[in-house]
Amino acid sequence: MPDKKTFRGGVHPLHRSHEGKAPTRDKPVREYAADTVTILMGMHLGAPSTPCVKKGDLVKMGQVIGEPVGFLGLPVHASVSGEVVDVGPVQTVGAVPGMAVTIKNDFADEWVDTLEPLGNVEKCDKDKIVPAIKNAGICGMGGASFPTHVKFAVKEGQYCDTIILNGAECETHLTADHRLMLEHSVRIVDGLRAAMRALDVKKGVIAIEDNKPDAIEAMRKAAEGRLGVEVQPLRTKYPQGGEKQLIHAVTGRQVPTKKLPLDVHVIVLNVGTAAAIADAVIDGKPLISRITTVTGHVKQPSNLRIRIGTMIADVVGECGGYSLEPGKICVGGAMTGLPCPSDLIPLTKANNGVVVYSEAEAAATEETPCIRCGRCVEVCPIGLNPYKLKYLCDADDLKGAEENNVMDCVVCGSCSYICPARRFLTPSFKNTKDKITLEAKKRKGQ
Amino acid sequence: MGIAIATVLMAALGLIFGGLLTMAEKKFHVEIDPRIEQVRSYCAGANCGACGYPGCDGFAEAVVKGEAPVDGCKPGGLSCLKGIAEVMGTTASETEPLVARVICQGSRAVAKERYEYNGIPSCRVAAGIAGGPKLCRFACLGLGDCMAKCKFGAIHMEDNLCVIDPNKCTGCGACVEECPRDVIKLLPRSKTVYVQCRNSDVARVARDICMTACIACGRCKKTCQHDAIVVEGGFAHIDAEKCVHCGECAAVCPCNCITIPEVTA
Repeated sequence: MPDKKTFRGGVHPLHRSHEGKAPTRDKPVREYAADTVTILMGMHLGAPSTPCVKKGDLVKMGQVIGEPVGFLGLPVHASVSGEVVDVGPVQTVGAVPGMAVTIKNDFADEWVDTLEPLGNVEKCDKDKIVPAIKNAGICGMGGASFPTHVKFAVKEGQYCDTIILNGAECETHLTADHRLMLEHSVRIVDGLRAAMRALDVKKGVIAIEDNKPDAIEAMRKAAEGRLGVEVQPLRTKYPQGGEKQLIHAVTGRQVPTKKLPLDVHVIVLNVGTAAAIADAVIDGKPLISRITTVTGHVKQPSNLRIRIGTMIADVVGECGGYSLEPGKICVGGAMTGLPCPSDLIPLTKANNGVVVYSEAEAAATEETPCIRCGRCVEVCPIGLNPYKLKYLCDADDLKGAEENNVMDCVVCGSCSYICPARRFLTPSFKNTKDKITLEAKKRKGQ
Repeated sequence: MGIAIATVLMAALGLIFGGLLTMAEKKFHVEIDPRIEQVRSYCAGANCGACGYPGCDGFAEAVVKGEAPVDGCKPGGLSCLKGIAEVMGTTASETEPLVARVICQGSRAVAKERYEYNGIPSCRVAAGIAGGPKLCRFACLGLGDCMAKCKFGAIHMEDNLCVIDPNKCTGCGACVEECPRDVIKLLPRSKTVYVQCRNSDVARVARDICMTACIACGRCKKTCQHDAIVVEGGFAHIDAEKCVHCGECAAVCPCNCITIPEVTA
């Protein structure tokens, strides 16, 4: 058995309560289809798709309702069959409202063939795999929603020798990937094999944190006899599932500043993405549903397979409703989750969880002066000096912050988590990163 | 004896180096345009950067080189403009000085909030989280990004709303650039009657989220005897050229979103 590998730094949030995963990790995934779905056109990184249906149209499951725009564009598919009741902007967790198509579900679940099934992943035409991934609308399902087909665009002079499947699920509270690995382990390995064949990669590693021994066992069993596929247990630590941390832990290679994983010959995919690839390649089914963990202060915390575009209010209702007055609702876990202004926010391809916090848990904390304990330096997985960066960011010294490598910050939140003075470290860095990007854009424009 | 030798040597060395330095100064003399210093003396001296050059020195140099316009220093006001024009030997065209005005009255008391924001005090960050804490997408978030940028201490926050002191404002425009919501506009100083809202939502929605939102009712337009008001894009605009600052529109506005003319001494 290979050693449990890891990276330098990091934290272990909620280590006394099984990372907050106990309420849902033993609950099998339940299917759930809501009455209406509101499918956002801008679910992936890159330009939002253009809606190609109008109010009153009848759509079937899997039908293209949004045409891709640009290099990073992805098509959007209807996740239910029924009537389009609205096409217009809706509130999202982002800065501006996003264009969305609202469909009333007729529960007929009628499919339309949008993709050609390629059949067995070991025998199919490997040149058709990447186009199938694009046409199925697959983007990274771990949270960043980067279009998957772009990850496979290997440039001249680059090559890939390892594909890593990210099954770390280091975020607190979430068990969506855990359940997927237990219930669909063969699908995940199929997806990995398809990805490996598409780029002629010889080695595929499925990396899983050691707090999920049952998932490690299940994936080992599924990977038996499959060419070049191995399972790598990792130490339970946050942000073990961060792309650069995962590559370092598994291969020992470090992704240099301003470089991408492909520059160290690695592609990282989420296990959910791999399962979606298998669905697209084997069955010709586009990405229209995903597993989402609904937990926190809801009556029955569950893992649900939801249709893309389901409202948070609907999934909470399916889980028995709120068990107390919610103070804050986040999509994603405690470390990287995004706060929602209300529960009328549609879930996207990348939302792996909904966590409801009580008012006491969500109460504001007051920032106090830095006591120079140095814990933030210890835990930073990148090796930055968060306490020093914070001074520079507060003084609005963009140049100084850039010289101290603020652009390498992955906004994991480890420093803010560990800080005994409760300093708002991570949000300051994110703000400064945004400002620097904006300045650079302005300069380019002039 | 030793002391005498040392003294003589030091004196000799001093003379030699002194001579060398004098020669070097003569030989490598850099011609500095005396006008740069003069132009610099007329500038506001805050190094605010509103002219687009690195500080007042950079601006003065650019003016003398002919790269920057003589009226580039907005904070300096009329005296600065006249002074620089005199140094440069041109006549200054007298332009109306500008002042920054807040096009929003949505303080916490009147504007409804979507959620309670308790992150870092920055409008830019708040605006990025689910559309910002205030329901109105045109509202001032009042977390002080502009206040931090103002070199003249003219901005303060009152109940989550930006307030600009026109007496301290020099019209440099640093706040206008910083605001993520484009709530601040530079208007001619004498134009004191303007609409303090630019919410383009339909009246029902606008009124629902803010008590001081312009609902585009058009009463101001009917009242105006000088044909200075147009209602367009969901809110009223006042044409500064035609407005005579009578203040009649402000008196009839049901939402109190037109300013009452200031009494200037």
